[in-house]
Order: sequence, then structure tokens, then C-alpha cells
Amino acid sequence: MEEGRAERRRRTEAPSHTQGGTRRAGVMTDVHRRFLQLLMTHGVLEEWDVRRLQNHCYRVHDRTAAVEELEDFINNINSVLESLYIEIKKGATEDDGRPVYALVNLATTSVSKMASDFAENELDLFRKALELIIDSETGFASSTNILNLVDQLKGKKMRKKEAEQVLQKFVQNKWLIEKEGEFTLHSRAILEMEQYIRETYPDAVKICNICHSLLIQGQSCETCGIRMHLPCVAKYFQSNSEPRCPHCNDYWPHEIPEVFDPEKEREASTSKANRKSLRSRQH
Amino acid sequence: MSEQSKDVCDLISAAEASSSEAHRSPGGPGEPSPSASQAATLAGPESRPSGPTDGSLASPPPQASSEEGDPKALQQATEGGRAHQAPTAAQPAPAPPAPAQLVQKAHELMWYVLVKDQKRMIIWFPDMVKDVIGSYKKWCRSILRRTSLILARVFGLHLRLTSLHTMEFSLVKALEPEELDRVALSNRMPMTGLLLMILSLIYVKGRGARESAVWNVLRILGLRPWKKHSTFGDVRRLITEEFVRQNYLKYQRVPHVEPPEYEFFWGSRASREITKMQIMEFLARVFKKDPQAWPSRYREALEEARALREADPTAYCPRSSVSED
Repeated sequence: MEEGRAERRRRTEAPSHTQGGTRRAGVMTDVHRRFLQLLMTHGVLEEWDVRRLQNHCYRVHDRTAAVEELEDFINNINSVLESLYIEIKKGATEDDGRPVYALVNLATTSVSKMASDFAENELDLFRKALELIIDSETGFASSTNILNLVDQLKGKKMRKKEAEQVLQKFVQNKWLIEKEGEFTLHSRAILEMEQYIRETYPDAVKICNICHSLLIQGQSCETCGIRMHLPCVAKYFQSNSEPRCPHCNDYWPHEIPEVFDPEKEREASTSKANRKSLRSRQH
Repeated sequence: MSEQSKDVCDLISAAEASSSEAHRSPGGPGEPSPSASQAATLAGPESRPSGPTDGSLASPPPQASSEEGDPKALQQATEGGRAHQAPTAAQPAPAPPAPAQLVQKAHELMWYVLVKDQKRMIIWFPDMVKDVIGSYKKWCRSILRRTSLILARVFGLHLRLTSLHTMEFSLVKALEPEELDRVALSNRMPMTGLLLMILSLIYVKGRGARESAVWNVLRILGLRPWKKHSTFGDVRRLITEEFVRQNYLKYQRVPHVEPPEYEFFWGSRASREITKMQIMEFLARVFKKDPQAWPSRYREALEEARALREADPTAYCPRSSVSED
């Protein structure tokens, strides 16, 4: 069939066509294509899953080739995706700095990714929760405060009981995280919606002083008010016995978390509960 | 793409008629309620050009009604810098848009299709027109063609019109049938495992599996129709509604039986994505037996594998696809 032949030709085709870019475009092979398909299927993945996925794709399509270093592998794919305004974005969980990856659309500036999953009033509930989270000091919004806004929702009337279930749906779909009755953004939401959030709430939004990305949870200097992500704090003050604010040089008053170590993580996967104690909210 | 282009022409005229219907009724298979598609419109600047540029019939009434104020202003504010807004006029017979705009629409459509597929939702042509193509309906064919090209080249996926009658598209993997590589990644495993159990039961029986038989099997996994499970939630709803909606299973009443009983069959999606050999390998793993312990089924699986190989010799590799996890 015409389509099949054309497709097979394209499969082995070498450099891809980038629009108006002088940057060297990457080469797409079936390894990359399968990787992209599966990454898209899963939405968001942690780094160790991504490595397994990469190895799996090599095993399926090209057993003889050496597995490319993950960062180069992803940059290679991204150079092809660039002209399509999509990107494999790398982020980190805000509480313990675990690297996560997601395929995001750079052209969209809205919560549109969620739009097809949820009804109008549910989307509005998310927006209300999002606003509360962004405005909060700690990056968390309490369940009570969110539920109190149920009357202001657009669309069909929603009861508080219903809203509780919708919030759980958000947690299951990895848009929100719940901790002790309070909600914050999942790293997936941060990765996918950072642009939207920065454009929609330019005044309320908080930025990390170190990495300059969106900040929801983190530590702040009590003197000058600058903020940093917990993993950014960990990296910046690593093996520094006298941590000082990078902005005003005042003594940094909070507990310095440990840098995320994937090796230690794998060994200590059963004692994960212990690491949770480091993740106290420091404001 | 030539067959598809002709179909697309038919689709466009059919879509004109039905897109106005789509708002009033909940619409076709798997389509979310009108409020959900409203949400899609208010949420996404990329889903249509808003305001003055969208003068055509594709603009649905809901946009005018409840979404005023905040989100609309939001949309327009964020669209300020978007290049494709300016040149496209609001006249009913617009001049051909610049190639760059068509390319951008193709990119938007690509993402739309990918997300729909990720959510295992139906990709319905009238939705595509309403949510993405909008006023560029006249250039629908070239937009679709470009989107298909990109999807094939970059993702190895075919955007295929699976049913002209229901105007449904689906994303078909153009690579070899290794669908169970989803199993390789733990977070999908439970769902796939459950589905595979049911599919393999149906397959081994050689005909539909009665609901009672399925529950007997699931009982071994500790799943009951009335009990909520920590991972699966409401199992009964999952297998009789969710898997059916995703076309992995068919759930039908057994004819001429009182009191009413129901049985499961393979859905069209399962037939497309999962090969018999994969089922045999799954069974072999679960029961720790050789696939040949089910001789007639194994023979069928071999037949199917041979047919697939002959259809596309470069694509199919006989290898265990139920990968270790």
C-alpha cells in the first residue's frame, strides 16, 4: 500500500528536515521513534524508568548498537522535535530532586492537556486549587480551602463530596500531590504547565534563585525573601558547613537536604520512609 | 495517503453537517459530555484561533456563552504574540493562509492526536475540525497530510482512518507489534496484566468468555466484583466500561439466556495491538508451561505470525515481547 512503502522509506531516512534551523538536526531511527511513542504513552517518567525504556528500545530495534548516553540521546531527539514546538523536558521533583521527564508541548499556554479528561467544573476546580497553591507561602493548599470554593465553580453545580473525589482524580492522574490533607502540584503539572503558570500569574509566581525555574515548594531566606528549591539548596550548599544566602549573605536558617543520589536510592528503596523525614516544609 | 484524501473530502462535508449537531448532543462513541468539549475550547488557545479571527462556522456556540471574562481574556492576552492570528481575516471566504500557518496547524493537530491517543480517547474527525482546524477547514486535507507525515517520520505512527462511517481515526503503530513493551514499565503493568488475563481466557476458550468465568479467574488474583481494589479501583466498572470504551474488550448480552448473562469478546483494539503469539507467551509465563500445552491455540498463533510476516517481512520479528520487568 502506498502509505506503507512511503513510511518504510522514511524509516531509514537520515537527517530530518528542520524548519529554518541551521542547527545540526538529529537522526531519527526506530529506536528514537519507539522511545517517543512510549514516553508519550506514559505521560511522565522518572529517570530510572527512562533509562529502562531507552534500553528496551535499543534491544528491540538495534541490539548491536551501543546505547547512547541518555542526555545526548534526548538532545538528539529534541533537535528533531524543535521545529514541531514540542520537547522532552527534564525536571525534578520539588521535594527530593528525583529527575523526571515528560514530552511537553511548548506552543500551548493553557491547561489544555487536561481539558479532554475533565468536565468544565472539574477544570475550574483545578484552576482554583492551582491559584491557591501559587498564592500560598508553603506551596500547599489545604483541602478545606479548596472545597470552600466549590460554589464559585463554572459549569454544573458540584457538591463538596464530589469535589473531594475530583481532587483524588487529579492525584491519580498525577496533576496534584496530596500530603496530610493538603495539595500541591505534581512534578508532571509543573513540567507541562510551567509556561502557562508563569504567563497567567506573573505577579504571584515564585522563581528559584538558583535555577530560575518555577518554584512551588522550597526554602526562603528570612531576611531578603529569595527562594530556592529543596534540591537546588542541596546542590548549592553541598558540603558547605556555613551556608549563607547567595543574595544577602545572611546565615541560611534551614536544614540543608541531601543531594539526590540514584545509587543510594536503589539500595535504600525499602527504607524510603526514612528519607521522607527530610522533606519537611521549611517555611 | 491518496485513499485517505478522498475520504477526507467526504469527511469534511459530513463534518459540516454534524459539527453543529455535536454541541447539542453528547455525540459519538467515547466523546465526552458537551461541557467537556466546552472546557477544551476555553482552555486551549492552540485549539482554535479565538475572537475576531474565527469567523467561520466551525466556531461553536458555547464559546460565546459561559466562558467570558477571565479565561477568554486569558486566551486573548496569551495569544497576543501568536503570529498566526494577524493575517487570517474573518471573512467567510479567506485568502489561502501562509504555508507557515498551515504548518503550525499541522503541529497543533499532531499534538491533539497524540494527547487523545494517550488518554485512549476516540479521535473523531468532527472534533478535530472543531477543536483544532477551525477556520482552516478548506485546507483540512493538506493539514491532515502534513500531520500524518510528521507522525510517521518522528513517532513511527500512522494516523489512519479506521472507520469512514463513524469518522474515527486512530493512531496505529507502524513499528513491529511489540505493544506489550508497555509491560516493561511497571506503572502500566497492573492494567495490562489484568487485561491480558481476560484476553487470554477468551482466546483459550476460543469463543466469548462468560462474565462468571472471568470472575472465577479474577478471583485467583483476589479481585471481586463488589470489592474496591487498591490499584484497580472498581474492577467491574474497569472491565465492563473502561476497557470496552477503549475497544480492548466487547461486553455483550448472551442471547436467549434468562436471567440475563453477559460475555466478553476481544475488542477491535486488542485484535489490532496484540498478537496471538503474545498471548501464548503470556500464558506460558503465568502458568509456567510451554505455549505448546495449548496445541490448537499455539497452531493458530503460529499461523497468525506467519501471515503477519508475509504481509510485512521487514517488520515482524519473532521474539518474546512480554519483556521482563
